[in-house]
Amino acid sequence: MQADFLDAHHRHWDDAERLFAAHRWANADHLYGMAAECGLKRLMLVFGMLFDSVGDRPANQPDRVHADGVWARYESYRCGHHRGATYVLPPVNPFDNWNASQRYAHQSLFDAARATSHQIGANQVRQLIKKAQWEGLI
Amino acid sequence: MTTFDQILPRVAEVLRTHADRLPTLGPLLVNRDLNGRVRLVVGEPTRTDAKAKQALDAIAHELQGQLGPHAYPAENAVLFEADMDSVCAGVPSFPLEGLDGVQVIDRLATEGNWASIAPESTGAPRIVFFSIKGGVGRSTALAASAWALAQSGQRVLVLDLDLESPGLSSALLPEERRPTYGIADWLVEDLVDNGDAVFEDMMATSTLAHDGEIYVVPAHGRDPGEYVAKLGRVWMPKMRSDGTREAWSQRLSRLLDALEARWQPDVILLDSRAGIDEVASSCVTDLGAYLVLLFAIDGEQTWPGYRILFRHWRQSSVVRDIRERLQMVGAMIPETDAVEYFAGLRERGYDLFAEQLYDEIPPGEVAGERWNFDASDEGAPHYPWAVRWHRGFAALRSLHARFESIDAREVATVFGPLIENLARVPRKEGEGNG
Repeated sequence: MQADFLDAHHRHWDDAERLFAAHRWANADHLYGMAAECGLKRLMLVFGMLFDSVGDRPANQPDRVHADGVWARYESYRCGHHRGATYVLPPVNPFDNWNASQRYAHQSLFDAARATSHQIGANQVRQLIKKAQWEGLI
Repeated sequence: MTTFDQILPRVAEVLRTHADRLPTLGPLLVNRDLNGRVRLVVGEPTRTDAKAKQALDAIAHELQGQLGPHAYPAENAVLFEADMDSVCAGVPSFPLEGLDGVQVIDRLATEGNWASIAPESTGAPRIVFFSIKGGVGRSTALAASAWALAQSGQRVLVLDLDLESPGLSSALLPEERRPTYGIADWLVEDLVDNGDAVFEDMMATSTLAHDGEIYVVPAHGRDPGEYVAKLGRVWMPKMRSDGTREAWSQRLSRLLDALEARWQPDVILLDSRAGIDEVASSCVTDLGAYLVLLFAIDGEQTWPGYRILFRHWRQSSVVRDIRERLQMVGAMIPETDAVEYFAGLRERGYDLFAEQLYDEIPPGEVAGERWNFDASDEGAPHYPWAVRWHRGFAALRSLHARFESIDAREVATVFGPLIENLARVPRKEGEGNG
């Protein structure tokens, strides 16, 4: 299947919100991380990230990261692009304590506070995606 | 082929043909993006409204046909948004002419948009010296005005905001008195919350003032340092700790407020960059000006430029917020045929103001409350305050020496009407100690 970071960002966010409303903290938390990753990768494409369409993934190894790693990679691309100046994220990555392997963890280890912190982070990415659409970058 | 200027008329045309269906869409925004391509933004509830969706599909297809390269493919031409206010936040917007309730959201690559007019500041009056073209003696006139106002005992704060072509401070400060830092230094340090490190050392008092005081804040310090590298960063917006964004112009406004609080001037003179420029936009529209002086020479380079600006204010529906603060200044009135030259300048100034800014008076009616002036009204904003051309003031480089040995009569001969009118600017009660 072909990657579509924008659509994936939207569906992960939408599903995360439904799970969050149903107090399904563990999977909501996971999907907020996925939404943030997909959204930032869509913006990284705008700001110059190379994409390997045969392998269907970012061309460079350091860019093949999840939410916990993508914040810093995004910043590298943003700073290297003249339109990036107004696409700032807060310097501290709210997904520092998020890891894709947590999907194997027991759900009792997730709570509302944890999911909320990642909801805020994913929403910051969502606002940048909207801005990029309004400004015609995507 | 559709080009930029046809975008809005064609969007209006398409929407008019669907006028009966527009109410089903709720609030409708016409979003013109950075590349000049148009999308519609409607409220989130519209997404699930079959009737509204049908109307949007039809409109989107027509827009694609009408706008060509300035449209998005119909299937990608509509954005749904739960928070419609967020779409407009901090972005220039204006009503689409002839269509009630339809707003155009216009996204520019520059932050300066010339159409968000800040209300007049409540402190010392801020007077902006602006010209549509450079090289008309604007900075010299500002230096002379500062000198004259200080002579009358006022405390005058002067900012050189011609950041890309600085020079005003050399007219008011000898080399050895220039401060260590300037405005560009503060704007760069502020990005890392380090503005205080330069704030106290970015102002010097001019030796030209005798009874009053002239506080000069230059574009850069005595040693400009890596000025080009700093200039490339002064336009940066800043993220506040609460995640909100402060545009560079808001940062400049914050600096001006801090300088005013620190030095307590009676009046503030701002030397703006010439032309339809980013810094000029900030000076003219964002800094709470009391008065904006529009320097003009009578020529083909002057009037089309001002006409573009005034038309933009009309289209953006902000004319009433700005027009009463405007005043033409006739720059470099030549020695020969001065009377004829001035008459021509006044006539073209009147034509421009009457066409773009003054209220129309319907035939058979009197002006009454309408904002309108006779061509010959000396108190009208189109009636230029005259500044004569004078060999001795032509070179800014030697101006400091020039002002040191100057007498009031000589200044009055060259800058008379300008200085007399500025002397009448009312001081705010309780401000300053002059």
